[in-house]
Amino acid sequence: MSEDETTLSEREEIEMLLPWYVSGTLDATDRDRVERYLSDHPDVQRQLDLIRAERHETIIANEALPTASAGALDRLLASLPVRRAGLWRRLSESEGLRALALLVSPSAPRTVRFAAYAAAFLLLAQGVAITAFLLKGNEAGYQTAAGGDGRRGPSFFIAFTDAASSADVTSLLQDVGARIVDGPKTGGIYRIEVRSDDTSPPTEEALRRRLAERRDLVRLVLPAKE
Amino acid sequence: MIEGAHDAQLIGRIAAQDQAALRGLYARHQTRVFRFLLRLVRQEAIAEELTNEVFMEVWRSAGSFEGKARATTWLLSIAHHRAVSALRRRKEESWNEEEAAEIADNQDNPEVELQKTDKAAILRRCLENLSPEHREVIDLVYYHEMSIGEVSGILGIPESTVKTRMFYARKRMSELLKTAGVDRGWP
Repeated sequence: MSEDETTLSEREEIEMLLPWYVSGTLDATDRDRVERYLSDHPDVQRQLDLIRAERHETIIANEALPTASAGALDRLLASLPVRRAGLWRRLSESEGLRALALLVSPSAPRTVRFAAYAAAFLLLAQGVAITAFLLKGNEAGYQTAAGGDGRRGPSFFIAFTDAASSADVTSLLQDVGARIVDGPKTGGIYRIEVRSDDTSPPTEEALRRRLAERRDLVRLVLPAKE
Repeated sequence: MIEGAHDAQLIGRIAAQDQAALRGLYARHQTRVFRFLLRLVRQEAIAEELTNEVFMEVWRSAGSFEGKARATTWLLSIAHHRAVSALRRRKEESWNEEEAAEIADNQDNPEVELQKTDKAAILRRCLENLSPEHREVIDLVYYHEMSIGEVSGILGIPESTVKTRMFYARKRMSELLKTAGVDRGWP
């Protein structure tokens, strides 16, 4: 290979890097290499001028383009595949909990934030009281899902009202033959399991309705699928 | 870096099926993605449809985003593949460089005649007349300001090919300019 060819090859290599040099997206090694070459070969400056003009017109051509129509996002959201969200996600999206989240956000007025914290504290206190009571060897005691007498009927996620006392909760659970197997979780949610061999959907729905009817004690009840 | 972290955070939330995060990412990047696609497919309705397909893909595969690349690189990579598929389906516009180079400059009208006296306008017309493959690499480098490595990632080609493709795109543009009466003296 002659010296001329070597020189030409190096020039081509440098020329190939120039678009990125002009755009400021070359890595440090290549940038140094280009700058060394440019200082030794001032005629390459003309190439830089051409590239700057190309870049300028490319930007103008792109910026002149429209944007997607206003309804495009709505169509996208409407076409998203529906995926059954987990319970906790559904709960976090519930209006009540979302409102609570907004209330405790730093942007909420201080007095409103205090009220929200107070409500959250009451919820937590209720949870502690219920759990502590149930852990005292009560029939409707607290057990893991794997525990108990082996019969595992329908299970539900349930949240109790502020007015529900520990005794009320125990009484309700005994009425339906249920025990708490997990909780409290965020939002004062417990998981309960009904001692029954019948796990058919009608039985599950009947139990859910029975629990939901006790609006004085039950704030929310949902089937808990495995 | 902060912008990148914000994008990564949004994508993390999208992986948890957070629609608000998808809205956020869409608001930040839809113009870039839409314009990139429009320059390739040249039809607004198709570009818009493909843009939505890109974000739908993000919705489906956000969990696989590792954050090694910028979100923009990932989005444009998806957009590139969608555009290539769409163009292949349509077969109206060749993805082949040589065939595309034969695009005739047959749209002369009074406005075009006027533009022919403007060197910048001629340059823009020549950019338009490049093959989609060449126009794409030029847009990625000049407009989207992608590094060699990022272009390589978006197009799925080696970095050496990125450099030569850009070189030949510029060379082709010089030829088109020369045909239009503008001799740049290069190559």
